[in-house]
Amino acid sequence: MPSLTDRVWSPYVAGVIVGLLQIPAFLLADTALGASSSFVTAAAYVASIFDAGASQIDYFARHMTDAKYFWQSALVIGIALGAYVSARASGTLRPSFSAAWTRLVGIRSFWGRSLMAFVGGFVMLFGARIANGCTSGHGISGMAQLAVGSTIAVAAMFAGGILVASLFRRV
Amino acid sequence: MDILGLVVLGLVMGAVFGVALEKSRVLEPGTLVGQFQFRTFTMLKMFLTATATGLVVIAAMNGLGWAELHPKALAVGPVLIGGLILGAGIAIAGACPGTALAQAGTGYRDSLFVIAGGILGAMVYGYFKTEIDGALDLGDYGNLTFADLAGVPFWALALAVAAVLVVGIVLLERWRSWTRDLGADGTGVWGSGSDSDAAAPRGGSPAGATPHGAE
Repeated sequence: MPSLTDRVWSPYVAGVIVGLLQIPAFLLADTALGASSSFVTAAAYVASIFDAGASQIDYFARHMTDAKYFWQSALVIGIALGAYVSARASGTLRPSFSAAWTRLVGIRSFWGRSLMAFVGGFVMLFGARIANGCTSGHGISGMAQLAVGSTIAVAAMFAGGILVASLFRRV
Repeated sequence: MDILGLVVLGLVMGAVFGVALEKSRVLEPGTLVGQFQFRTFTMLKMFLTATATGLVVIAAMNGLGWAELHPKALAVGPVLIGGLILGAGIAIAGACPGTALAQAGTGYRDSLFVIAGGILGAMVYGYFKTEIDGALDLGDYGNLTFADLAGVPFWALALAVAAVLVVGIVLLERWRSWTRDLGADGTGVWGSGSDSDAAAPRGGSPAGATPHGAE
């Protein structure tokens, strides 16, 4: 039996667990697993601090009022909590950034990596919102519904990732 | 279900998701970039398993009439271009939108900048949605699934595809075991994985792992 104190579970155990999460998603939340819409909810609230007109924009307004997006925002906060509990229970809490970055791109400073992270986050969500879904919504959920659009999105996602990763060092 | 119920449900489901992402090391930047460089295959294994499992449970729920499908639209321009940009962003961020939150939970503080950048990216899209969607409009074929295209019931094709995926997963594991993807130290935490043939300790055995902080 997998235990919370294990350092590692096989990707197959993790995959089955994530796949089973579609049951409460479909039956109780009446939607499929997803993550990137929650960034629009956050963006809508941040934008409305600076811009009184932000909540008049239909796209933002929808992400501030529909219950589905409250569920998804709670989901991503839960992801952070679950990962914390898991790392804490198995003694695998991480340092400020992964050593993989030094190997991949030679970055050694936290601020250097943070700048790269910010740019990466921007590009990632900008693309996810254009595509109307991310690795969860198009990937795990779209493929599991045999959606044609999601299959194309996943192929494009891999192509974009492979292209950029080919510029990094192979270590 | 009321809002409070949905929020509690989301938190609980997210926590389970987060544990799975941490334990499988799918949240590691080294795992994601390693997959894009075809050095490690943890992400693909987890992704295919989650998809196969999802196909089976959604086939059951939909086949029994308990749940409607929620496929996203086939908007050709957005899924192609958006998908490419998203993939590029994942490689630079070393995270997906969901795993960025998981990284934050484990202590990777650079992920807070991924999240902040992501919020700004979503905001910029929101402000220019009309222009961007207009520029990328190459036709929208609606919520099309391969079951619609084939003219067969969803549950039937879903179970067939799940069976094919299971065969693929078994072959993938026989070709390259998941413990090998964890790298020489057997934790997968230090990220880059290893192409060495060093026998990795069996996962789940704390005795086999090097102390945290060692490289």
